Amino acid sequence: MKAALQQHAAVLREAGLDWLFVAKTLLAMFVTVWLAMRMDLQQPATAMMTVAILSHPHSGMVLAKGFYRALGTLVGCLAAVVLVSLFPQQRLLLLAGMALWIGLCAGGAAFYRNFMSYGFVLAGYTVGIVVLPVVNQPQLLFESAMMRGSEVLLGIVVVGIISDVLFPQRLGTVLRQSVASQFSGFMGFVSGSLGGVLDRSQLEKAHMRFVADTVQLENLRASVVFEDSGIRVHSPRLQRLNQHFMAVSTSYQSLHHLMNRLQGEAGRPVRDHLMGLCDRLARAIGEHTGSDAGQVAALEARLAALRPELGQAVTRLRQRLAGEDRATRLDFDTGAELLERVTLELHDYVAAFAVLTGHRRPPLLQRHEQVVFSAGNDALGAVLSGVRVATVLLIMGVFWIVSAWPHGGTAMLLTAIFSGLFASAPNPGAIVRNITGGFAVGMSLAFVCLFFVLNRMDGFGLMVAGIVPFLLPGLYLMARPWRPGLGMGWVLGFTYILNLHNGMSFDPVYFINEALSQMAGVLVVGVMFSLFGNASSNQWLRERLLGRLREQVVRAATAPLAGLKARFESASRDLMMQMVVHGGAGDRRFLGWALAVNETGRALIEVRERLATLPAPQPDVEAAVQALARLYQAPSDSRYRLAVQRLSWALDACHDRYVLAQLHLLRLALLDRNSVLADCVASDVVVLPEVSLAP
Amino acid sequence: MPREIAVLDALMPSLLLVFLLSLLLQWGLDWLVGRYGLYRYVWHPPLFRLALFVCCFGGLGLLAMQ
Repeated sequence: MKAALQQHAAVLREAGLDWLFVAKTLLAMFVTVWLAMRMDLQQPATAMMTVAILSHPHSGMVLAKGFYRALGTLVGCLAAVVLVSLFPQQRLLLLAGMALWIGLCAGGAAFYRNFMSYGFVLAGYTVGIVVLPVVNQPQLLFESAMMRGSEVLLGIVVVGIISDVLFPQRLGTVLRQSVASQFSGFMGFVSGSLGGVLDRSQLEKAHMRFVADTVQLENLRASVVFEDSGIRVHSPRLQRLNQHFMAVSTSYQSLHHLMNRLQGEAGRPVRDHLMGLCDRLARAIGEHTGSDAGQVAALEARLAALRPELGQAVTRLRQRLAGEDRATRLDFDTGAELLERVTLELHDYVAAFAVLTGHRRPPLLQRHEQVVFSAGNDALGAVLSGVRVATVLLIMGVFWIVSAWPHGGTAMLLTAIFSGLFASAPNPGAIVRNITGGFAVGMSLAFVCLFFVLNRMDGFGLMVAGIVPFLLPGLYLMARPWRPGLGMGWVLGFTYILNLHNGMSFDPVYFINEALSQMAGVLVVGVMFSLFGNASSNQWLRERLLGRLREQVVRAATAPLAGLKARFESASRDLMMQMVVHGGAGDRRFLGWALAVNETGRALIEVRERLATLPAPQPDVEAAVQALARLYQAPSDSRYRLAVQRLSWALDACHDRYVLAQLHLLRLALLDRNSVLADCVASDVVVLPEVSLAP
Repeated sequence: MPREIAVLDALMPSLLLVFLLSLLLQWGLDWLVGRYGLYRYVWHPPLFRLALFVCCFGGLGLLAMQ
């Protein structure tokens, strides 16, 4: 009974949040319209649409989107004025210039996939909303730019204030919760799996989860900084925390892969020794994985005490193994180095988390301690996306001119808006289909609302009362995850065609013509995405993403070392997340590659960092690093053989224990028959005779 | 201060400049308050931020328009 009540309460609370969002958005919309009408702006509907596009349940999101939208609008207004002043009498050149500009912006939006991309989209389509309404009277352009700019900025200010001040749902809370759950989730995973064996599919699943955590944390952080200046101060620390998290999760996985490869009779003694060491770490972490300040501080102290102890234990075991053959000693050294690295990085991670949960105010980070999350941006994909949008707009523009379609501008405008907004969304075809449906519903409702309800209403209050019933279901759909885009299309279609302004005109013929051209604009976007979609529907683009992921290993092997580790870890995760978003989590091949790239790239960076500190150059090791880079660039039998051979030579030639351990790890990863590389090369190549390791 | 100023020969309300200036000022104050964790003593931080901005803008605007 009590459980049922609690369940009901939770459901009601969630529903309450949805309705709060609906109420706040409605309030923001009508306050904006009222202000816009008071200020005598030309198109209060534009301000209302701004509110609809920006509104989001979390205030941090609204502020972040609003900030970039404001920037994009200002740049777009400027670009519109420049374009029209360049070609006031040349419609073809003007259209080509517009298509080029919007294409450029779409390319920029595809290159930066966070909220910066939103700014680019806006800079693009603001040109459309400024130029197209006055395309036949260029002398009114400046006024149009000022008006659209004011309307959009008014909408941003109102929705920002209302969502941030009135019963805000803080994104900062979400961020704090997700940092804490990331921490306890990872600690629980480590303490639960240190003593046992995880097979490859479990590791893949865990990796998936941690990558999703990492990327989500970074995205949240980028938006929360607009909402909460307390978190903004901590923002570099959050970035560092995430970096430590990525480092330790990579190392921990390498450790597990190594343990899996040591299974079988030959690896038995080494395995037992390593298990003993792992056990110490597991005991230090202990059972509880709470995330409150006291527990975390205690955990940090235990890990700090463990590190020297672990070092001594490793030395003792190494002496005991001195009489064994070289392969056994190498196996042990590799495992011990990895375990020490895991402990060190785990300690760093816990320490970074302790600073965040602690109450004392930490000193600001020095510049050299700051790290950035670098995304795996794709220049060619961005160019393609820009070319796609520009081509479609050019075709529509030419059609507009040739057919002398009076409402062609509207269709073009809608195409510009939606092709930009969803260019990098997962599965944009489906979203645009939902939006089209929403548009159809919204516009039919607008017809009813305008010609049967609003023409009988007098005054602002009655107008609001006449509109709300038609808008309410659409806004509620926006708050629900069901069929993303449907609610958005409903609200936008409704507000855009209703076109509220001082001195309404009721002209059914104009309305229907306008509705048809808007529908045409949205449909063109749907056709565009289904003909040439993004990586969600395009196998070639997905393969390209995979290629770029493998290229991270080449970067790890060749790029300058300063800050490389952080760049590598974040870019490889970002690329993997893109593949998951576009390809679905089911594709095992991507996951396999992501694991292989992470492990190999990280080991390569460790080798290179160590080499940089050694006095004498090690040409054999360098050659092995380059051979691995070439293998990942384009996997093939011959390159695989070459890489294995070079690694064996390097193992024979090198005498530094740390480098040897990393090289051995790389070699084991290469020879692993379960790894994804094994699928790429002919099976007879994989089963190599054990290379003789000279004592 | 005149009510309008010419930016590249386009007339703009001079309050716009004051607005931008107070945005900057508010950003700095907000950073300071966040840096020293003073928002812990505030009941409703976003409302406080808004009020701070209104104070900045109102004060500067009255000063400029005098």
